[in-house]
Amino acid sequence: MKHWIRLNWIALTRTVSGMLRAPLSSLLNLLVIGIAAAFPLGFYLLIASAQGVIGQLPVEPQLSVYLRTSVAADEINQLKQRLATDKRLTKVQFIGKDEALKQMQASVGGGDLLAGLTDNPLPDTFILTASTDASADSLEALQKELTTSSGVEQVQLDSAWARRLQQLIVVGKALLEIVLVLLAVALVLITGNAIRLQILTRKDEIEVAKLIGATDAFIRRPFVYFAALQGVLGGLLACAIVWAARTWLNPAVEALAKSYGQQFSLALADWRVVLVTLAVTTLLCLLGASLAVGRHLRQFR
Amino acid sequence: MIQFQQVTKRYPGGFDAVKQLSFDIEDGELVFLAGHSGAGKSTLLKLIAGIERPTAGAVLVNGQNLARMRRASLPYTRRHIGLIFQDHKILYDRSVYDNVRLPLDIIGFDHREARRRVQAALDKVGLAGKEALNPVSLSGGEQQRLCIARAVVHRPSILLADEPTANLDRDYAHDILELFKSFHQVGVTLVISAHDETLMADYGRRILRLKNGQFSA
Repeated sequence: MKHWIRLNWIALTRTVSGMLRAPLSSLLNLLVIGIAAAFPLGFYLLIASAQGVIGQLPVEPQLSVYLRTSVAADEINQLKQRLATDKRLTKVQFIGKDEALKQMQASVGGGDLLAGLTDNPLPDTFILTASTDASADSLEALQKELTTSSGVEQVQLDSAWARRLQQLIVVGKALLEIVLVLLAVALVLITGNAIRLQILTRKDEIEVAKLIGATDAFIRRPFVYFAALQGVLGGLLACAIVWAARTWLNPAVEALAKSYGQQFSLALADWRVVLVTLAVTTLLCLLGASLAVGRHLRQFR
Repeated sequence: MIQFQQVTKRYPGGFDAVKQLSFDIEDGELVFLAGHSGAGKSTLLKLIAGIERPTAGAVLVNGQNLARMRRASLPYTRRHIGLIFQDHKILYDRSVYDNVRLPLDIIGFDHREARRRVQAALDKVGLAGKEALNPVSLSGGEQQRLCIARAVVHRPSILLADEPTANLDRDYAHDILELFKSFHQVGVTLVISAHDETLMADYGRRILRLKNGQFSA
């Protein structure tokens, strides 16, 4: 066991000194891995941030039914009863004009909204929630039907855009999967190629080492360490790149969100995301290394 | 220690480098291999080291048949053998010290013991004080000594030297052979090949003469 640890320690020190002996090419290789991994990581964080906001939006289709200001109380009651028995709706909420005014006052905060007005200008409103599996067509039919009811001024279909945004997220996720697969292949190829070049430059060493009694494991070990180090450092570099990009982009994004009256800022990678990134880059680099080493070490006896 | 039984090595293309060779080398013996280049000396040494596998026959080293050995066990057998190559196979991307240290790293010596042994080996071959140099700056004779230091640093029981005195002047060649003699005196089995028999005559040891892959008188 102690012996095995020593052999691994020897391999690790040889790997690190090898990387330091060619700092420029090591750095370039790391940059390639870092940039390649930064794409899916950044894309993921972008989707996660967007999902955070969009997830809070109501998904069930909602209809706001605004009544005429001149509507009579029994007209409201009739409508209420009709809606309560409608099978297509899962929830019916009535907000009277006084209630609406109160809510508005609370959300705006302080001040007398009615200053200068003789009357409450807000209408009585029904907020209707349809079941989530209602199709766009049936919702439109419902909207048309309600518009023609007596006492109704206007019917607004609220949540279509939220659903569209959610669809967009689904598309984004699928894109992320594609980017991930491409990254995986790219990382395996990049490390495989780096290892191939290393084997070529260290051909003499490998040949001599085998002649004087090195096992295959001894030959393989430095390359495995090299790949693992590249994976970890490349992953860290990817996190740093994404962090820098986020710092650069965030003020602009926040300003844009504010103009829509939204609080939105791009997410930072938390430690779990960082760990997963490092694990994925390391595993992919190891895979590339083991493929290359297996292929190219066969030529030595 | 080393035993050949009807060993033939045929290279791809049908050339027999070694034909039906049988001989024994005792433990602690010093044997010279003589013959012109192309007589099969290098092939014979490679067969002992397990670098080449015999096409027919058996090569026994320490009682183990190399021809039947699993590929994975071969490295451990090679660690009992010190190899001095005709073309030196010195690594020029590292210091003299690191060149000699390579066999110890392969076996997995700890740092302090490795340092001590490298030092001792370099002292033995007369390269003390040149540890930090790059091998490029060594003379031809010094490179040969470096190669010997690397072959003996892990104290193998068998030492195989392929043309160690080629390209060296006579005095220097004698120095190298004296060095081998000192290894012989501490019980190492040595097989040394050379095409110049006059050098061997001075040492009065057994000489195996090869011609076209077979022993000649």
